[in-house]
Amino acid sequence: MTATTSALRGRATPAPTRGSGGRSTSKAARLIPSGIAWILPAFTISVGLIYYCIGYSGYLSFFDWTGGRSPMFPVGIDNYVRAFTDPIFWTALRNTLIYFVVVFAVQVVGGLLFAALMHSRIFFASVYKVIIVIPVVVAPATLAPAHIQVWQTDGTVNQILKTLGLGDVAQAWLGQSTTSLIVVTLVGCFGSVGFGFILYFAGMSQIDPEMIEAARVDGASNLRMLFSIVLPNLRPITISLAILNFITALKLFDNVWLITQGGPAHSSEFLGTLIYAQTAGTSRNVGYASALSVILLIIAISVSIAIQRRGRERAVKLEEPADV
Amino acid sequence: MFEARTIRGRLLLQLVATIAVVPFLIPVVTMVARSLSGSGWANYAAVLAVPGFARFFLNSAIVAGASILIIYLATMAASYGFSKLRIRRKEIFFWLMMAALTLPEVVLIAPLYATAVRLGLLGTFWAVILPIAALQIPFTVLITRGYIDGIPDALFEAARLDGASTWRVFWSVLIPLARPMAVALIILVLINSWNAYLLPKVFLINDDMGVVTLLPEFFRRQYNDDTPKILAAAVVTAIPTVIAYVALQKQFERGMAAGAIK
Repeated sequence: MTATTSALRGRATPAPTRGSGGRSTSKAARLIPSGIAWILPAFTISVGLIYYCIGYSGYLSFFDWTGGRSPMFPVGIDNYVRAFTDPIFWTALRNTLIYFVVVFAVQVVGGLLFAALMHSRIFFASVYKVIIVIPVVVAPATLAPAHIQVWQTDGTVNQILKTLGLGDVAQAWLGQSTTSLIVVTLVGCFGSVGFGFILYFAGMSQIDPEMIEAARVDGASNLRMLFSIVLPNLRPITISLAILNFITALKLFDNVWLITQGGPAHSSEFLGTLIYAQTAGTSRNVGYASALSVILLIIAISVSIAIQRRGRERAVKLEEPADV
Repeated sequence: MFEARTIRGRLLLQLVATIAVVPFLIPVVTMVARSLSGSGWANYAAVLAVPGFARFFLNSAIVAGASILIIYLATMAASYGFSKLRIRRKEIFFWLMMAALTLPEVVLIAPLYATAVRLGLLGTFWAVILPIAALQIPFTVLITRGYIDGIPDALFEAARLDGASTWRVFWSVLIPLARPMAVALIILVLINSWNAYLLPKVFLINDDMGVVTLLPEFFRRQYNDDTPKILAAAVVTAIPTVIAYVALQKQFERGMAAGAIK
């Protein structure tokens, strides 16, 4: 056996402690052919392009530049100052946070509910499944015209409200700065519940049936079982969803741009739409877009690390009593 | 999961499920119903008759196909290297790659745009395919390496002792054994590249290079906000994806589930 056998133990999450595995000097290890050429294509495309872009982004963020052949003016840290003093930037950050909290909550609750229901014996389960997963697989850009129809003044939502005798609540959802964010957030929920469902459904199939049987024999109710057995077992999925949702909220662009264009009056602006408008819009400043990109990148990396670290700590705490 | 022993309990579960599904139907039903308003099926005929309509699908297929090919080959080779071959300071390389794991594509837009302008790549498929590949590869390498780590080294050693070259081992041992992973990987990349919107919107500025996600805007320009026709175009665009999902549900779900367990 070679020294790399230790690699067998690690699965999807390679631990940093395995670093010594590849550096063995035993005779057997030296017989293994070198793999540097094999990782080169992937390394060049991804690490090369991405690190180049990040570096270039950092460089551009110190300039004023309207793109194309126009000249670049060095402006120091003005672009960063502009971002932090721009009320639209803070609106975008606030919207990102609201969007993340609401969509994540709805995705977890909705995903769990559907996954639990489909694991119960109900009729038409396969039809229901297709209905909630379609918004996940069809491009947001394709479904956006439908959402506009649903939410516009003579759209489906207002018609339903009138039919229910709630005509007073009917309003121009897309045209008001007070409601545009609600529409964008609900459209986000619509497109993400199915994803939570797929992950939770797969996760529930992997829970040991004996554990569930034992709980049932002990007289646990359906809800008790969901909260005490199913949920703790699905914690890694919930943490993944939290990270993915946060990144999605940070980079949100498709739905916002196609449904509200960030408006009216920037009320539904997100970092994604801001960066796009500054890169390819009519009054653009690629330098400012780059500064915003750098800020976004720093937020994305620090929050992912924070969520993962907290998740790991809590997972360790949970495992301890389970050993007893 | 929920166990309902009484008929009332089962009816209640059925009712909850049905009510919970309704909000998901509303946009789809609205889309189909409104697309038939006005001149009915003639809306669809008009949309399908627009010159260049098929071109959008062809372009999407080019972007998706090239992305899949590049990502598949690069990922398999890199996972082989990381998992079964000898590389000095392997984990440093690995973590350099993994640092880009959750990178959102918007942060690449400004520098890519600047670079594409300089290199004259604006309006070429490469400006879309390469960033898609760059953003997906860290993740596909992570899951594929994890999968290949689970294949016993003994299989590779046996092939080597029989005199197979590294190439031969790659094609005859690794590729066939990694096939279940490859299907999930290909579906994941297919969904992401077919549905990509921001990168094509910025870089594929000519109408004859449009991909399917740009169709609604194309029709908005073409028809001056003739809503039924825009919706008919959206329905036609959505149909291939829906059919693909219904036909390959298991593979789609595995692909997406692989996409989240990090």
